[in-house]
Amino acid sequence: MSAPTHNFDFRKLQAGNRRKSGELLFGMGIIVGAVVWALMTYFGKSGVAIVPVAIGVALLSVWGSYWASDKIVLTMTGAQLIDEASNKQLYDLVSEICVAAGLPLPKIAIVEDDAPNAFATGRDPEHAVIAFTTGILRVMDREELQGVAAHEMSHVANRDTLVSAIAATTAGALAILTDFLMRIMIFGGGERRDDRDNQNPVALIASIVVLILAPLAAMLLRLAISRKREALADVTAVQFTRNPAGLRRALEVLQEDTTVVKQRSTSVAHIWIESPLDGSATSKLFSTHPPLSERIAVLKAMEGQA
Amino acid sequence: MKAVVLVLLILVVLALLAVMARNRLVRLNISCDEAFSQIEVQLKRRSDLIPNLVETVKGYTSHEASTLEAVVAARAKATSATSVQDVAAADGSVTQALRGLLAVTENYPDLKVSANFLALQEELSTTENKVAFARQFYNDNVRSLNQAVKTFPSSVFANSAKVSARPFYEVDDPQDRKAPTVKF
Repeated sequence: MSAPTHNFDFRKLQAGNRRKSGELLFGMGIIVGAVVWALMTYFGKSGVAIVPVAIGVALLSVWGSYWASDKIVLTMTGAQLIDEASNKQLYDLVSEICVAAGLPLPKIAIVEDDAPNAFATGRDPEHAVIAFTTGILRVMDREELQGVAAHEMSHVANRDTLVSAIAATTAGALAILTDFLMRIMIFGGGERRDDRDNQNPVALIASIVVLILAPLAAMLLRLAISRKREALADVTAVQFTRNPAGLRRALEVLQEDTTVVKQRSTSVAHIWIESPLDGSATSKLFSTHPPLSERIAVLKAMEGQA
Repeated sequence: MKAVVLVLLILVVLALLAVMARNRLVRLNISCDEAFSQIEVQLKRRSDLIPNLVETVKGYTSHEASTLEAVVAARAKATSATSVQDVAAADGSVTQALRGLLAVTENYPDLKVSANFLALQEELSTTENKVAFARQFYNDNVRSLNQAVKTFPSSVFANSAKVSARPFYEVDDPQDRKAPTVKF
C-alpha cells in the first residue's frame, strides 16, 4: 500500500540541498584548519593560543543576535505583531502551514512597506516569528501567500537561523584571526621568530597566502550556504503544501515587481524571501539568494511531476 | 589486554547504536499518534462549525432540506468512529456532504453575500485545508514509521518495542481521482 500523496521527488531534492549545505559548512571547517596551520607555521605552537580567543569573541558577537533573533529582527524591521482578530486570513494561512509542518504557531507580524517581501527568524520553532510586508499582502492571492508562508516556515523547520549563526560565527572567528595575524606580521614581526625552527620558505609563503585568502573564501562559503538554504526552503515548502505552483507564481510576482524593501541594511538581508539588496549587477557568487529565475525553474520542474 | 578493551569498545558502540535505533522507532510511533490526534482535532473543529452553518443556510433556503439532512447525518456518524479506517471513511462522507451543501448555496445570492455566511465560509475553507494538511502530515509520519519498521537495523526492535507498521489515512474522495469534470 502506498501513501496517497503526489509523487514529487522533493525528498531527493531536500537530501541533496542538505548534503550540499553540510559540505559547505565542512568547507568552512577546513578553512579554519588551514588558518590554524598557517598560524603554527608562522608563529610556532604557542600561536595556537589565540584560536580559542578568536572563536570566543565571534561566539559572543553572533550568539546574542541568534538567541534573541526574534526580538532583534522585529525591532530592526519595525514589524508589528498581529493576532487572529486583526488579520484572520493571514492568521489562518500560517496556521494551516503549521498543521502541515507539525510546528507550533509562530508569532505573526506585518511590516509597513510597499515592497512585497516576507521573512522568518527565531532560534527554534517555539521562538519563531514570521513577517509579511503590507506590499506582499496586497499583490498576492491566497494560494501565492500560502506558498510564501510555507517557504518561511521551512526556514523555521530547517533551523536556518542556527545554520546561518554557525556560518557567521566561523566567518567572524576567521576574520578576527587573520586580521590579528596580519597586524602582527606587518608590525610586530621579529619578536617571536625564535619559535620557528627549521622553517622552509615555501610553507611560510603558503601560510601568508592562506591568511590573505581565508576571509574571502569564508565569506563566499557563507553566501553559498545561504543560497543552498534558500533552495532547500523552496523544496521543503512544496513538501508542506504539495503545491509547487503556488510558490512558483509568488516568485513570479516578486520577479515582475521592481520595488525593493526600504531598509537596505545588509545585516538582515539574508532573511527576506527575496533579496532586498538586488538590482545592481551583483554576480551570483556574491548574493544571499539563488536567482529568482533559477528558483522558478526548479518549482516548474516539480509541477511537471505532479 | 588491548584486544579486550577493543572488543568492549565495539560492544559499547553497538549497544549505543541499538538503543538509538530502538528509540527512533518509539519516537516515530509517538509522532504518528500525535499526527493522528491532530487530524481528530481538525475534524472536531469542522464538526463544531456544522450546526452554525446549517442554521445559517436554513435561514435563506427553502427546498434544500435533504442536503442539510445529509450533512447532519454524516456529522452524527463521524462522532462514533475511532479506528483510522473508520475515521477516514466518516471524514470522507462529511467532506462530500459539505461539498454538496456549498454547491447548492450557489443558487442563493442573498445567502452568499450575508456577512455571517462569508465568515463561515473562510472558517470552513481554512478548516478544510487544515484537515487535508493534517492527513498529509499523518501519512508522511506513517511512511517514515513503516520504512523504519521494515528496514534494518530498526526492524530488529519492532517486536520488542511493540511498534508495527500502521495504516495510511485514505479518504475515498471521487474528486481526487481526477474524474473528468462536467462544465455547464
